[in-house]
Amino acid sequence: MKTKSAIKPRNSKIYLYLLPGLAIYAFVVLVPLVMALRYSFFDWSGGPNMDFIGLDNFVALIQDDVFWQSFRNNLFIIIMSIIGQVGIAFLIAVLLTRSWVKWKQFHRTVIFIPNVLAAVIIGFLWSMIYNHDYGLLNYSLNAAGLESWISPWLDDPSIVMTSVTIPIVWQFVGFYLIIFMSAMQNIPDELYEAAKIDGATSWKQTWHITMPMLKSTFRVAIMLCIAGNMKVFDHIFVMTGGGPGSSSTVMAQYAYDVSFNRFELGYGSAVSIGMLALSLGLILISQIIGRGEKE
Amino acid sequence: MKWLTPLGKTIVNILLLMFSLSAVFPIIWMLYSSFKTQKEFTLNTISLPETWQFSNYIEAIQVGKLHEYFFNSVYISLSSVFLIIFLGFIIAYMIARFSFPGRKVIYILFMFGMLIPIHGLLVPIFIEFKNVGLLNKPYTLILPYVAFGLPIVIFLFESFIKQIPKEIDEAAIMDGCTTFQVIFKIIFPVASPVIATAVILSFLTAWNEFPFALVLIQDEALRTLPVGLTNFNGQYTVNYPQMMAAMSITVLPVLLIYLAFYKKIIQGMTAGSVKG
Repeated sequence: MKTKSAIKPRNSKIYLYLLPGLAIYAFVVLVPLVMALRYSFFDWSGGPNMDFIGLDNFVALIQDDVFWQSFRNNLFIIIMSIIGQVGIAFLIAVLLTRSWVKWKQFHRTVIFIPNVLAAVIIGFLWSMIYNHDYGLLNYSLNAAGLESWISPWLDDPSIVMTSVTIPIVWQFVGFYLIIFMSAMQNIPDELYEAAKIDGATSWKQTWHITMPMLKSTFRVAIMLCIAGNMKVFDHIFVMTGGGPGSSSTVMAQYAYDVSFNRFELGYGSAVSIGMLALSLGLILISQIIGRGEKE
Repeated sequence: MKWLTPLGKTIVNILLLMFSLSAVFPIIWMLYSSFKTQKEFTLNTISLPETWQFSNYIEAIQVGKLHEYFFNSVYISLSSVFLIIFLGFIIAYMIARFSFPGRKVIYILFMFGMLIPIHGLLVPIFIEFKNVGLLNKPYTLILPYVAFGLPIVIFLFESFIKQIPKEIDEAAIMDGCTTFQVIFKIIFPVASPVIATAVILSFLTAWNEFPFALVLIQDEALRTLPVGLTNFNGQYTVNYPQMMAAMSITVLPVLLIYLAFYKKIIQGMTAGSVKG
């Protein structure tokens, strides 16, 4: 550690420099976190009446079917994303290393585009694609002679989760593609050259060199999938608002509904705490499993 | 042994091309459909406009007041970016250069911010802002955007500054520079590549942000584009081309930035993730 040197200002001066940024960060992230814990012990609708009810909110939360349904929906999106985003992205990343694959630069540029767009835009765009009468999807099915496949994509509780998950997966494939591509560049060429001399086919090389070398990248990608999809909100708010009924509600949407439609701010805080705890728990579990695999 | 015949390779190439096109076609569809009339759109969803007409855009601005949302988005995003870069650079410099009590804790606190799902803070932040009277102010959204933007930027800056030789700072101090001058006159210009990345990333995040803008701002005149669009959708539920015109206005700045700074964006996004 480069400690005492001629250029080091006094500690008090350092703290003064850190203060503005730290203050904003503490005010927006740390204080609300602590306050949410406090509010979750109250029955409170935002007015002057706050009744301390101990753990009642959490007891109710554990028995709240909609909360657990929304958690399951988050899990569904996470699993689909791990298969869809990480899987497809890895496959494409491998393909883009093959000499016979064409238009590489085009693929790289284009697949990443949905990433930079607002989730709200993606949500609206896909509501339009799913629209029953004018949507791109039903139009294409019609044109392909598959009229029987035409469905009310966002209005049928039994398929709505799949319908809302596809745009979420679709939007972020490019992100994972870039992660895998930059990780693959760090694998030393000698490994592949040695394998080639031994007569390993390119798919064998992928299986025995690329995959094992990318273990930590896979771990990071899966963690990002979990962290990113526990907070998913915008897409679903725009496409279905969590409906029909509560069939496509996710935790963030549920916390929003409880707090801002039902005005139960105490219970809404408890839902938020539950959401944070479950997210951190899942991330932790995925890390532990990942670590264990490494040994 | 060959795994794929030439025919197989052609098929894989075609599939890959279809996948890539599926990533952009909806956006292209939105852009050109925004020049169609509602009637044209309902007659044929996919056709190009017969005459390219701007009436949807004019109406989006005159009736939908989209230019107000646009201005709010520009103002909020740019102010946030300025503060994120300014404050983030100071913090990163201090953490990268000096050891002082609490240095580790401060760094971990910020890195923690990259991990927690900030949407879990939506309700608590609303309550806090309500209690201290910070809702519906022209600067309301800047606070959360700065706080959420700081972690990734501090991470990017800190790892970059560590690689800059300390002799540069020492020479500047000898020449009589203050610490503030060393940070912004000497180190800041050296770090310009990573600053460019940080600026673009922070801008995109602020420009696209939705839930906090939805919850913390109820005043129509202060809304940003993403929330403005949801209002717009309510007013003109069936008029898709008009909605698409509004969406195109929202998307265009982002698309232009992406095409201009493609490399920087990708660098920044992956740098943040490799941290893990």
